Amino acid sequence: MKNIQLYLKSIKVFLLTGLLLVSCTDILEEQPRSIFEPGFFQTEEGIFGGITSMYAHLRYIYGQAYYYNTTLTGTDEATYAQSADQNFLVMDLSGQGDIDPNNSRADALWGAAFSNINTANGIIEFAPEAGVSEALVAEARFFRAFDYFLLVQTFGGVPLDLGSGELAFNIEPSRTSVRNTVPEVYTRGVFPDMLQAIDDLPSVPRLTGTATKTLARLYLAKAYLTYAWWLDNPNNIPTYPETPRQDPDGNSAQWYYQEAYNIAMDAINDPGPFSLQETFYDVNLAQNDRNSELLLYADHTEDSEFYNGGSLVWGNGAAPDNFAGWMMTWNYTVLRSSSSSSEWVGNIESVRREAIQATGRPWTRMAPPIGVITNTFADKTNDSRYDGTFTTVYRANNDRTPLISGPMYNANLMEVQAGDAILTFLDEEPDQAINYPSPSSLGGNIGAGILPGRSDFVISPSGISRIVHPGLWKLGPYRTDSGSGLGEPNAGSTRPFNIAKLSELYFIAAEAAVQGATGSMSARELINVIRARAGVWRWNNNGNEEKIEDNSAEMIAATPAEIDVNYILAERSREYYGEGYRWYDLIRTQKWEELAGTYQIGGMSYSDRTPQTVTRNIQPFHYLRPIPQGQIDAMEGDRAIYQNPGY
Amino acid sequence: MDLRSARINGPGKKKSVKWFAQIWAMLLFTFVSFLSEAQTVNITGVVLDEEEMGLPGASVQEKGTTNGVVTGLDGDFSISVQSGATLVVSYIGFATQEILVGNRSSITVNMSADVSSLDEVVVVGYGTMRQEAVTGSVASIGGDVMREVPSANISQALQGRLPGVDISQTSSQPGATMQIRIRGNRSLTASNDPLIVLNGIPFAGSIADINPEDIDSIDILKDASATAIYGSRGANGVVLVTTKKGFKGQKAKVSYSGFHGPRTVFSPYPMMDGPEFLAMREAAGLFESPGASESNDVNTDWQGLFYQTGTMSSHDVNVSGGGEKSTYSFGLGYYHDEGVVPTQQFDRISMRAAVDQEIGNHLRIGFNSNSNFNTTQGSQVGSYGILSLSPLASPFNPDGSRRRNISMPMDDVWVGTRDVLNELDGQWLNENRTYATYNALYAELKIPGIEGLKYRANLGLDYRQTNNGEFTARGVNSPNPDTESFAAVGNSHNFHWIMENLITYDRIFADKHIVNVTALYANEQNKFYSSRMWARDIAADQFQFYNLGNSDGEIQINPNDQNYQLWGLSSLMGRVMYSYDDKYMISATLRSDGSSRLAPGYKWHTYPAVSVGWNLGKESFMNNVSQVDMLKLRLGYGQTSNQAIAPYATLGGLGIRPYNFGNDALLTGYFVNSLPNPNLGWEYSETYNVGVDFGLFNNRLTGSLEYYITNTKDILLGVNLPATSGVGSYTANIGETQNKGVELALNGLIFENNDWSWEAGVNIYANRNQLVSLASGQDRDEGNWWFVGHPIDVIFDHQYVGLWQEGDAHRDILEPGGNVGMIKVKYTGDFDDEGVPTRAIGPDDRQILDLQPNFMGGFNTRVAYKNFDLSIIGTFKSGGVLISTLHSSSGYLNLMSGRRNNVSVDYWTPENTEARYPAPGGLASGDNPKYGSTLGYFDASYLKIRTMTLGYNFDNASKWMTKSGMSRLRVYGAVQNPFVLFSPFNRETGLDPETNSFGDQNAAITDAIPSRLLTIGTNSPATRNFIIGLNLTF
Repeated sequence: MKNIQLYLKSIKVFLLTGLLLVSCTDILEEQPRSIFEPGFFQTEEGIFGGITSMYAHLRYIYGQAYYYNTTLTGTDEATYAQSADQNFLVMDLSGQGDIDPNNSRADALWGAAFSNINTANGIIEFAPEAGVSEALVAEARFFRAFDYFLLVQTFGGVPLDLGSGELAFNIEPSRTSVRNTVPEVYTRGVFPDMLQAIDDLPSVPRLTGTATKTLARLYLAKAYLTYAWWLDNPNNIPTYPETPRQDPDGNSAQWYYQEAYNIAMDAINDPGPFSLQETFYDVNLAQNDRNSELLLYADHTEDSEFYNGGSLVWGNGAAPDNFAGWMMTWNYTVLRSSSSSSEWVGNIESVRREAIQATGRPWTRMAPPIGVITNTFADKTNDSRYDGTFTTVYRANNDRTPLISGPMYNANLMEVQAGDAILTFLDEEPDQAINYPSPSSLGGNIGAGILPGRSDFVISPSGISRIVHPGLWKLGPYRTDSGSGLGEPNAGSTRPFNIAKLSELYFIAAEAAVQGATGSMSARELINVIRARAGVWRWNNNGNEEKIEDNSAEMIAATPAEIDVNYILAERSREYYGEGYRWYDLIRTQKWEELAGTYQIGGMSYSDRTPQTVTRNIQPFHYLRPIPQGQIDAMEGDRAIYQNPGY
Repeated sequence: MDLRSARINGPGKKKSVKWFAQIWAMLLFTFVSFLSEAQTVNITGVVLDEEEMGLPGASVQEKGTTNGVVTGLDGDFSISVQSGATLVVSYIGFATQEILVGNRSSITVNMSADVSSLDEVVVVGYGTMRQEAVTGSVASIGGDVMREVPSANISQALQGRLPGVDISQTSSQPGATMQIRIRGNRSLTASNDPLIVLNGIPFAGSIADINPEDIDSIDILKDASATAIYGSRGANGVVLVTTKKGFKGQKAKVSYSGFHGPRTVFSPYPMMDGPEFLAMREAAGLFESPGASESNDVNTDWQGLFYQTGTMSSHDVNVSGGGEKSTYSFGLGYYHDEGVVPTQQFDRISMRAAVDQEIGNHLRIGFNSNSNFNTTQGSQVGSYGILSLSPLASPFNPDGSRRRNISMPMDDVWVGTRDVLNELDGQWLNENRTYATYNALYAELKIPGIEGLKYRANLGLDYRQTNNGEFTARGVNSPNPDTESFAAVGNSHNFHWIMENLITYDRIFADKHIVNVTALYANEQNKFYSSRMWARDIAADQFQFYNLGNSDGEIQINPNDQNYQLWGLSSLMGRVMYSYDDKYMISATLRSDGSSRLAPGYKWHTYPAVSVGWNLGKESFMNNVSQVDMLKLRLGYGQTSNQAIAPYATLGGLGIRPYNFGNDALLTGYFVNSLPNPNLGWEYSETYNVGVDFGLFNNRLTGSLEYYITNTKDILLGVNLPATSGVGSYTANIGETQNKGVELALNGLIFENNDWSWEAGVNIYANRNQLVSLASGQDRDEGNWWFVGHPIDVIFDHQYVGLWQEGDAHRDILEPGGNVGMIKVKYTGDFDDEGVPTRAIGPDDRQILDLQPNFMGGFNTRVAYKNFDLSIIGTFKSGGVLISTLHSSSGYLNLMSGRRNNVSVDYWTPENTEARYPAPGGLASGDNPKYGSTLGYFDASYLKIRTMTLGYNFDNASKWMTKSGMSRLRVYGAVQNPFVLFSPFNRETGLDPETNSFGDQNAAITDAIPSRLLTIGTNSPATRNFIIGLNLTF
């Protein structure tokens, strides 16, 4: 009975508790503890985070290989390679399909830029209240102008109002969009911010790789130059949304050429901590990344997978990874040597996939046409830039772990050692005819040729094809953690992807000068600064040996007395080959068809080394990329007028 | 005392004891009994079955009281009752009988087998109801019937068993649970999962935590008139799970049930063998030189070197019994499931306890507790690597040593065969350990002075925690032997409590007016948090994931891997049920719910529901229709909601972008990726349901037919904004969907004589889903594959119409750069006057392809001869589209290039132009044939035998049985997944046509298909299992 009493008592307590719990009302309130609310964005810390994210957004554009492809494939710098998919094929405009809103991968830019512009809008709006310095806000201004400049070049006019008003932080879930015209974007979305940024940005970067006065000057000069060309419109290329070629501020094209020149010269004369590297090789050498010539890059690191933004072991080929370098890397791993000195057995993988700048991960999506080797880089002796751009010699790495032991024989069944050349892309056509053995697998498994007395297989400039061609050394990977092994060649590159260089200021000023701008340095003088440097050697990259030479005088002597836009464009290609400049250079100057209308390259299979001449069908409407299908799909309202004509 | 124990004794019949019913009814009757004062008489008797054999263990009860006894070994009983009492006699699987005692002192009760199940009691949420009085749409299944499909969890066991309940496989790995959809999908981005209620408490765990052996019954509330009592969480249907309990006055009963058997691969994935692959590679002409590991005279069956024979075994012991005022039941179970993919396995130890105690005449308390500890291992082992390996590569080097990597023309792939994986013991792990405990405590008080009035308090206290540990030693699963080791640990915790206060009033007035009133006030809160961290380059393999601090590499705690969610729900509910003479019934419900997840000012919503029933069979004019034993019409309307959006969705959020500034500053960036919505409110569904239940030909044929319409409005939608808004998305109440459907369930006793009996059941249902509207003015959302006027689940892609043949007109226009033998898709553009297409095929030609099956369902049949019985359970589906990522571009197994191994397909060659698959090496989009995604769509029809069981029940009257004290002994053998019929997919590939992945899983490209669509991908292959089982009761 006593127990029962106890029971009853405890039950009463239990019931009472139940009734008390009833009165809880705060269970309907919310307090997140693992995520940020947008309000955090208005604090000082949030604004700092916003600025960091603006640098991080570069990774979704630069190093993103599909976007990279849109900047090169279809120009004189690149065509599609053997493993190209539709994204690459259509960009070539050579009858392999049409560019459309789905397969044009300029969507990478479209998708990354507006969100970043909105972040900039927020920072600029909230900074005064949060007590953030003008210098920091200037970084946001720089990026807003930077993105609008990229967008307006790529797509034509784009919206300045994201939903909450022009250049205002958007809090409206707006599913409509109205495109501004090209002059509106330049004069309201690019120039004012960039001018302000030049005033407010520091000369010395706040952190490694952050925005500076010099960087802002480079972009303003380039924007002025580009806009001047747009006003000029020498080849009558259409714009969209349609608008007269008139500057709302009433300035002429010539005025903008001159301003471009002036701003570029300001930066050249007062570059802050930046300077040109001694040699061209050093500009692109992985060990020298983030050097004094580099103004902006999408950075990466091998120290932290989290901050790198992508796996350090295996990349899937998507942003924020830097995987652009895979595209122009052909599948050199097919190369074979022989374990027998008496007959060709072709059973040794003498050049395995390795995480070094000369090789990396092969995707075989893009290839240089023959003209790049024979015309653009005609001078391979004085000019160090061919050697500092391409991998032309593929060397045995059988000494890397896992080791491949035993003697190894290569062309002419001559013995080769680790580090020796297995395949060489010759600089010139050789005097002696190359012997191409049959079947093609006898040529190092890739249909390469043999020259008497040489232990390496060879391919001459006319023998390059969509499947075998020099690789792009510039963008090759580099790791310090490979030890004695092959490293992690399948990860995205942990090197920064370079976006802006001090050297480009010389080109901008020179181009403005060619277009009529005047000042302290002539176009020829400006270009010769670059050419002189290109003549300086300290290392023979593909020869893998020291080479101390100064051919500056020869380089300057070879510069034509009168240089024109075509010469500047050729020089730009020598300097920036494969870095994602080319399509923008050609559409700015409206020289796309003229310079890239035809090209030559060999075929798709190893034995197919006969150059074919390919003609491209470049139409005026191609000067703007299609608005991505994703934008059109997500919009309401009249979507037809939103798309660029022709798509 | 046990009022209703009409239970099912075999397949095809539903069990009816619902302990909730007992609790409620008992209390009511105790109340009644202690008010009455009358003289008692002693009655003796015997309960006999149809063969005049005594029925031991039958319940004999004085109607309206808790007074009752259980029959002895010969079916005999003795009971003291009040004069004029009625006895209620019940036994599992027999129709319950009511016998007026009159003046008799000795009674013989002849029981007959219960086919109709019409007298079953069903759990309807916050109470129980006689099936006869149910006015909503409720589908029920007893634990024994459900267990006819031996399985790891109830979702597997329920597949195809109940009309309108579509259960789909989302993973074929050991221990995986399935996706349950009741009457289709309603919501676009919010959850479509039903609410699960375990022993009256909303369930806060995984269905894998519930041991099917512990189940007493499952009742599924399908229409809103039934689910409205769960208000804001009822829109997707409610699954009420009731676990076993003891019986009053029951002697301690100990039972064991177990099964064991091997799992074998149903069919390996259809990959090409060496010669086939070589021929295809040559036809493609893209890889003239083989990879370093390949040789054209080799033919390796990689899958044969990969799979193992798995095992399934289950052991359960149950003890239950009851005294005069108490009942108890305890259970202990162990389940072990080892997959066919090496190292994959699932283990579960479960414990269950249920105790109920009466204290005095007014108070009753009790609890039930279900706890389990389970581990899942081996989920890191995928099949893609093995499937993609070239059959031309030998697993061995020329010197006989095993190859670490296989070098194909473009890929070096680490080789993880069965032998390799077994040798890697301890060096490649992924373990999930879960402990969960689900507890319901209750107290019930009869309010003295008011007949039929009770107060009940329910307290639910649940806790679940999961620990995950991963370890990959140096070089494992990587072509690079120096790839740094990796280890990770993750933890999650879930705390859930609910406090319910219930007042019920149960009265029968004038014998004909049955009234039940229920009122509820409840508060509930759930707190979840999880964390994860990982490290690279663990100092020594011995540490595995147990000491991440011993790392020479990066240690990371990613902010995106840490999670905290707290949500609360406050509810008020009232329900009135009234029935007159069992002929006319009405039930009305009103519930108000307030949820923390929604914006202030929009948190509360009120849900009305009403349903009526008319038992036509009881009308006098039906007396002459002798074929009809029962006929009931039901009509219901109700409103319910879906609050299943993530907490904090109204607030918007920031995305995270880490970045390095050189090697000296590592910082985390933030940007706005979702906007707040201060107006976010409820999404709610209105359902109209009409149903008819019937029993014909002496109840040998019973069934029900239902039709419903569900309109879902103000759908909670994560709206993707165009890039130009600068923000990714926001959550809004936008759009409307509709589901319409028909459900038919039939059960019949086809044949029966002394030795033989044959029963069969079938359910068929069809649901038609439609997206009625999206955001204002929008009729399509191509980014999400949503189109007004079409089902939620569609494919938006080009439509395969064949292959381009030599001489087909206009290929140059429609497919610039294309080739003969490439995939031809539908062109929808214009033609000029000469009939020439005006443009190339492009995105405008994409079609909306409906995935919905025409109808689907399940069947079961049981043939018994003497002590033998054979039962077969199956499911079927007609029409609809099955997505196989093995065959489409996203799987990277149908590249048609010879780069990696390929699914074995009939492809186009100049000699074989009638093939379905394109010419190898043709125009590609990415690495795949252009339009390769269209190759993955198959007719989803199939009929599948899920389980065939042959059992033998030992004669419990036999001497040795009696001597050993056993009251039941059954042995059986079963084959699971023996074969598939009528499946075009199975005919082509030999594979099981059931899905095994979400759209974003088990494929190389995981963003090609929305994750909501289920696919067949490279998950662990389907298995065929052979089981021997034993059921034993003392």
